Formats: sequence, C-alpha cells, structure tokens
Amino acid sequence: MSLKSYSRARAIHVMLVYTGGCNGCDIEIVNCIFSPKYDAEQYKVFLTWNPREADVLVVTGPVTKHNEKPLIEIYNAIPEPKAVIAAGACALMGGVYKNIHGDIPSEEIAGPVDKIIPVDAKVPGCAVRPEDILSGVVAALPLLLNAK
Amino acid sequence: MNEDNNITDKKVIETEVTMGTVHSAAIEPYRVRLFVEDEIVRDAEITIGINHRGIERIMEGLPVEKANSLTEKICGICSNSHIWNSVLVAEKAIGIDVPERAQYIRVIMEELERLHSHMLYLAHGSEVLGHETFAMRVFYIRETVMEILRMIGGNRVQYGVSIIGGIRPRCELDEMRIQKIREGMDIIDEKILEFADRFVSDPMIMARVTGVGVLSQKQAIELAATGPTLRSTGVEIDLRREMEAYDPFEFDIITQDDGDVKSNLLCRVLEIPEATKIIRQALDHLPDGKITNRSWEMQDAPITKSYIEVPRGKLYHSYSLEDGRVRNSIIRTPSITNIGAMQYAAVGHHITDAQLAIVQCDPCFTCTDRAIQIIKI
Repeated sequence: MSLKSYSRARAIHVMLVYTGGCNGCDIEIVNCIFSPKYDAEQYKVFLTWNPREADVLVVTGPVTKHNEKPLIEIYNAIPEPKAVIAAGACALMGGVYKNIHGDIPSEEIAGPVDKIIPVDAKVPGCAVRPEDILSGVVAALPLLLNAK
Repeated sequence: MNEDNNITDKKVIETEVTMGTVHSAAIEPYRVRLFVEDEIVRDAEITIGINHRGIERIMEGLPVEKANSLTEKICGICSNSHIWNSVLVAEKAIGIDVPERAQYIRVIMEELERLHSHMLYLAHGSEVLGHETFAMRVFYIRETVMEILRMIGGNRVQYGVSIIGGIRPRCELDEMRIQKIREGMDIIDEKILEFADRFVSDPMIMARVTGVGVLSQKQAIELAATGPTLRSTGVEIDLRREMEAYDPFEFDIITQDDGDVKSNLLCRVLEIPEATKIIRQALDHLPDGKITNRSWEMQDAPITKSYIEVPRGKLYHSYSLEDGRVRNSIIRTPSITNIGAMQYAAVGHHITDAQLAIVQCDPCFTCTDRAIQIIKI
C-alpha cells in the first residue's frame, strides 16, 4: 500500500452532484452521511463540495442537457484515482424520463449517467436507501485503495 | 459592470458576483447573479430552467392513474402533496366521494410530510449558518418521521399513498401502526422544543439571523409569496382552513412579524407542534370503514383546478380528462411563486448573507422548473 492510498483509506471524500433529479436521492445521501443514525462519518467518509479534494463522485438524477457540461467538468477536476457512483433509478437508466419523447431524441435529458462519464458502481432504488449508498461506496473502494 | 440598467451613467461601480449553475454552496443547480456595491447586495437575479425535465409533457396522454403516480417524481420532499393534489383534480372532475377514513389517513400523511419538510429546512438552514452540529441534531429527529413514513408507505421518500377514490390498501393504519405514530409524535414534540430552546437561547445564532433577509409584509404580498414565507411577515393565511379534508381538525396558524431569517425559522419550528397536534387528533378520531371507493366510472371532464396547502405554500394542479387520459396538464409549485421573494430578500444585505436570505424562503429548485408563462401586469 502506497502512502497515498494509506492516507486515502483514512479519509474518503464523497462529492455529491445533482443533475436534475427530484431531490429525494440527494437528501437520502446527505442524510446517510450527516444523520447520526447512519453516520458514514464514523467510517471516515466525509461529504465535500470541492471536486479537487473528492475521491468518490456520487451522481443523482437523469442528466439534463444544461447539466451535462458541468458534470464533465467536475469529473475532470477530480484527481486520479477516482470512482463514480450512479445513485437512484434516474441516474442508473433514466428512470421515468428514459422514453420521454419516444424515439425522437430528447430535448431535455442527456442521461443516463454512464452515457456521459464512466460509472464504477450503480446503486438502484427510487429513492436510494441510505444503507444501499453505503454499500455502493464500499463497492467502489477497491478502485481507490488498490491504485498505485 | 451591469450595463443593462445604465448604472454606469450614475458613476456607481457595481460588481457582479455569479454563483452557479453548479456551486459548492448550493446543493441544487441554479444560477444566482448578485450585483454588489461595497459588499452590499443591490440586486439579485435567480435563473431557473436547469432542471427542467418536462413532467407535464410526459403526463400528456397517459392514463390518469399513471399520470398521478408520475407527479410524485416532481419533488422528493413534498411527493405526497403532489400525488394528493393530482388525485384531487381527478376526484373533483369525475365527482368521486372519498371515504372519511381515507381522508383522515391522507391528512396524516400530509402532516408527516410537513414535519419532515420543515425539519429538512431547519437542518439546511443550520448548515448554511455554519452550525453543522445543529443540522445533525435535526437530521436525527427527522429520522423518526422517515421511519414512520417507511412503515406506512413502504418507502422512505416516495410513498404513493393516494389513489383515485381513496388510499392504497398497504397504507391502512392498524393498531400497531397507530401506536408507533403516537410514540413518534411524542419524541418529536419533546425534541423539537428542546431544539428550539437551544436555537433561540444561542446569542451567536440569534445575532446572525435577526434582521437578515428582511421581507416587508407589503413586499411579500406584492411578490405573491406563499406559505410560511408569507406567514412569517405577519399575514395570517393558510389554505388548510379552506380545505375540505382539514374541516374536522383544530389547529392554529402560526405567524411571525419580522419577515427575516429568524421569523422564517421560528415560523417553521412552531408549525411542527401544530402538525403533530393535527396527527394526534386524526389518530384519536380515526373513523372506521372502507378506505377506497371503487364504485366510479371514468368520464370525460373539462379542465379542473385544485389548490392545496403544502409545506412550502400553495400548490396548483390542473388537467382535463379525455377517454381516461390526461390532457393540458399544468402544475404550479409554491417555490416558483416564492422566487420573487428570494430575489428581494437578499437585497440590501451583506453578500455573505445572500445565500442565507435565499435559503430562508425554502427553495426547492426541482419543483421550480416547470413550464411557466409570466404575464406582466
């Protein structure tokens, strides 16, 4: 284990990006890290809003056209190694917005997330449960910790 | 430099501070332009449209039952309000009687939602203030409500209680559930008052929130503010007084006088015991009988409107029915009428308080991004 991954194992910073969902998943994720009931901070998982100090990017919502560019910029700003988690039905496969215009290309939705940035772990649910978020972050951990 | 308003002519130097669309201070994507002069905000402009997904467009032509459950996906905070109002439109249009027990359970769900929405507001407000500990404490109290919601609806966020003619069978309240709700209400009443006590008796917080983001009563009425944002300026108005479902219940309308962040926070804190009071009354007098009325037939109907009071203010849904399918769906959420208030609340205050002034109006930008037409009067 390199020094970097040793220190990373002690403080995993999660960044949450909201790309046009319904707020349900976002609040559950903030809840999962903040709320004393789930309290991911006890496992040294912290919430951050700064992409330069983030390790894990959690994306919620079907990516709307306006949010596509900021999402790519945020993804590029995160230093390597990084992991991306798509949380919730909308981020996973478009949710109720998938077939919004039938076969005509959608004017509003650019997603789902894996069309735009590579996704490492997918967490299902509408809305995602806090327990599932924790297991999603855990599933993405080997990517971070085994990196040289 | 703001050249649109010819401010350069008056030799006033204004700086524009832009936030967004994705910014670390705002969880949801929206864009704020603050026109600053000597660190005092002179004008603010909020741009929406980033989250527009076009739910009304998807609803067009769907069977009315499907369209109703789709309205839940508008907002993850007040999802029950949306489905309730959407179902009310169909019931009004076709003329369906709802069993009394179903009405009571709908009211219980709505008040539970008010509880968790207001607590989320308190948590978000404390976080913006910089008091993360307070935010965590409120999240801990909120967890009680979330557990009750999961018990009744089967899901923590979107629970789909209302259907046309009543409520879903899985949301029936039996003795065990009623007992658990009562226990939860006791916990909330005790802890939220303790929280309010600590909040009010903390001189640091009070100094930060008093006199910040002031919205006068006249301004609030002119800007068509709604819900607790309007009530915190001293206007005693609450649509629950006029709603049929709330007729059997006694509750007070909470008003505050100042229209600043303190008034907004206190207005919502004090609405929490009122909500638990309504839930207790509903549980005490829960009528027996059916929970769904299935003896109705689909028929065509012209555009029907329905207004209800939701945690953030007044919610409007309307659509017409054609062969059991939804046409001309229009939805107006409380956050969109509060946008004017958000812009004006920040004006005249220090730039560091601008975010707080916007948050005090309880914005929900995912609700806000509807297709709208602004008519200048």
